[in-house]
Amino acid sequence: MNRRLRNALKGLTDPDIERRRRVMDSFVRATFESFIRYLYRYLGNEVECEDVLEDVYADIWEKPERLRNVTSDRELLRTVYLYYMRKRLREVYRRINRNLHLSQIDLKNLVAPELGVLEMTSQSELRQLLRRVLNRLKARERRAIELWMEGMSNRAIANELKTTVGAVKMLKFRTMLKLKKMLCDHCRED
Amino acid sequence: MSDINRTIEELLVDYAGALRDGCIPVFLKSLTREEGRRIASSRGFWDATEAVRILNSVGFADKVLFPKVSLFISRVDAEIVSRLKKARASSRRKRSARARPLTKTKE
Repeated sequence: MNRRLRNALKGLTDPDIERRRRVMDSFVRATFESFIRYLYRYLGNEVECEDVLEDVYADIWEKPERLRNVTSDRELLRTVYLYYMRKRLREVYRRINRNLHLSQIDLKNLVAPELGVLEMTSQSELRQLLRRVLNRLKARERRAIELWMEGMSNRAIANELKTTVGAVKMLKFRTMLKLKKMLCDHCRED
Repeated sequence: MSDINRTIEELLVDYAGALRDGCIPVFLKSLTREEGRRIASSRGFWDATEAVRILNSVGFADKVLFPKVSLFISRVDAEIVSRLKKARASSRRKRSARARPLTKTKE
């Protein structure tokens, strides 16, 4: 953790609320990039990410006690996710929950899940890891994932792979499961 | 996402598409009761969603243009100021509520 962020964290737990408000500036500067990219993982929508993060920072300013003993970047992200982001993520979809055919618990698990091994791996580590793992997939599986990541629809992927949409869906599902297993194995080895 | 009674594979692919396109509410609303049950009982679905989120963060978060941090800071500060005002107003209300019965007894 860099010095600037360490100092900001120290200032955040100051009992004086006005001082905390001034410290928020450097705290937001130091953490904005990593926090908003982390939220994007769950929301996939930049406008929602900004709205949620605004509330997260205000919550941190209001009740910063959870961050008192944080000593590393990873611990900071973990603590902020568990005690500040999750609550806000759940609120995003709470209002539409009344009309859903998904139980409250399943909805929670889908939009703000418990932290797994992968969820706590940093963005740069994940990027490297994914590159390594994608190379170990079969050519067809890798191509399907790469095309999907380029933004292609299932039909376009099916045309590219000369197969049916149904087969692409099956292939993607199986590949996702395979990817998850391979990524988890790599994380545990590391 | 209009098919009814989608298989678990189709549901996962639709969830992945919704996350990629930033329209999770549309996916949630499209679920039928049967599909909701299918999701709840499928271990594979939950395992695969983790990989989907990772792909989403690695594949797309870097391409998205987030606002400049200096602009965002002013939003956060405005939210903090509004919470401060609310807190002050509610403490003022509490104080006046506590003071009111005293004045009544004096009268």
